[in-house]
Amino acid sequence: MHFVPSTTIIMIVAFILLYVFLNKYAFGPLFGIMEKRRELIQEQITTAEQSRTEAEQFLAEQKAALDQARKDAYEIIEQSKTTSTKQANEIVNTAKAEATRLKEDAVKDIESEKNKAIATLRGEVGELSVKIASKIIEKQVDSKSQEQLVNQYLKEVGGRP
Amino acid sequence: MHLFPVVEFGGIGFDISSILAIVVSCIVVMVLARVAVSNLSVHNPSKVQNFMEWVIDFVHSTIASTMPLQKAKKFVILATTLIVFIFVSNLLGLPLGFVTEVDHDHHGPVTFMGQELLSAEEVDEAHANNEHLAFAWFKSPTADIAATAGLALVVFFLIHFLGITQNTKHYFKHYLEPFPVMLPLNLLKTITKPTTLALRLYANIFAGEVLIATILMLGWIGIPLLAVWQGFSIFVGAIQAFLFTILTFVYISESIVHEDH
Repeated sequence: MHFVPSTTIIMIVAFILLYVFLNKYAFGPLFGIMEKRRELIQEQITTAEQSRTEAEQFLAEQKAALDQARKDAYEIIEQSKTTSTKQANEIVNTAKAEATRLKEDAVKDIESEKNKAIATLRGEVGELSVKIASKIIEKQVDSKSQEQLVNQYLKEVGGRP
Repeated sequence: MHLFPVVEFGGIGFDISSILAIVVSCIVVMVLARVAVSNLSVHNPSKVQNFMEWVIDFVHSTIASTMPLQKAKKFVILATTLIVFIFVSNLLGLPLGFVTEVDHDHHGPVTFMGQELLSAEEVDEAHANNEHLAFAWFKSPTADIAATAGLALVVFFLIHFLGITQNTKHYFKHYLEPFPVMLPLNLLKTITKPTTLALRLYANIFAGEVLIATILMLGWIGIPLLAVWQGFSIFVGAIQAFLFTILTFVYISESIVHEDH
């Protein structure tokens, strides 16, 4: 074992120079890059977390919107169903009422025509009877039998509806 | 064993092999680190970048196990430099050896670049004792006690500088704890900590290289043994680099972190 003191000094100087060199040109920059990468990764994690939360929120919103739309559609269908049923009923009722009215009108018309016909007939029959009566009277004036005759005719004519 | 070429300039001895090894280690670490971070990207990291980030994270978690997290951050680059430099240094002596032998019939001084490595008398004496004279020109810088002492001195300086500046009150009080009587022991501890750091690293790596040199003497029979030992040396190199680093930060943490007892 031999000890050369100059080697010790040279070693110290060499080590310090090496440290300065590595600090400046090798590990220093590497350290900076590592720090940057750490920041980048941190940032990416934060961003990913954020977008995940956003996506979840969007999903929830979409789900709610979909549910709302479904509900709305159901309501609209229900509503239109009710409306159509109501309308159908209305139409049927109107038609029924119309038919009834028409029938009643017809019946009334028939009645009035019948009454008119009866009245006319009655007038004519009266006239006719007077004529017949006058003719008979011309032949034989017997008021009693004449009246009886008239009534008999009238009965015969009026009793026939 | 091999001798190490020591030349003198202006009365100061320089161990060429150690200096060469330190310089080569530094250059290898610089080039590796530079290449590894040449293509940094925030969005699309390359495999090398991933590996480097893993190294940094590993070092960071290692330091963080010795001190609070927010304090550990400042030391990550220092710790990474330490661990990578020591690891590369430990491995450097494994694959390469560059040995020059002094012939038996060589007489007179051995010289290198006009400088005397061995005097004529030393050569003659060695020949007389039938010693094998050889110079190793390349080795792990950490296989030299003087080099590991340099690293340990850096650590020693860091421990006390950081302790004094960041934890002033408790740093000085610490020497008198748990009892003022312990002062000599505490002072001794400040010496033994870096000494053990330097010695442990040096001894492990040096022993590994000695064993490699010894196995090489076996010739071709030693090849499987050499393979096994080289593999184990890589393991030892990694363990020692890790140990040096974590102990450094345990010591630093002891001096800068004050815990309420």
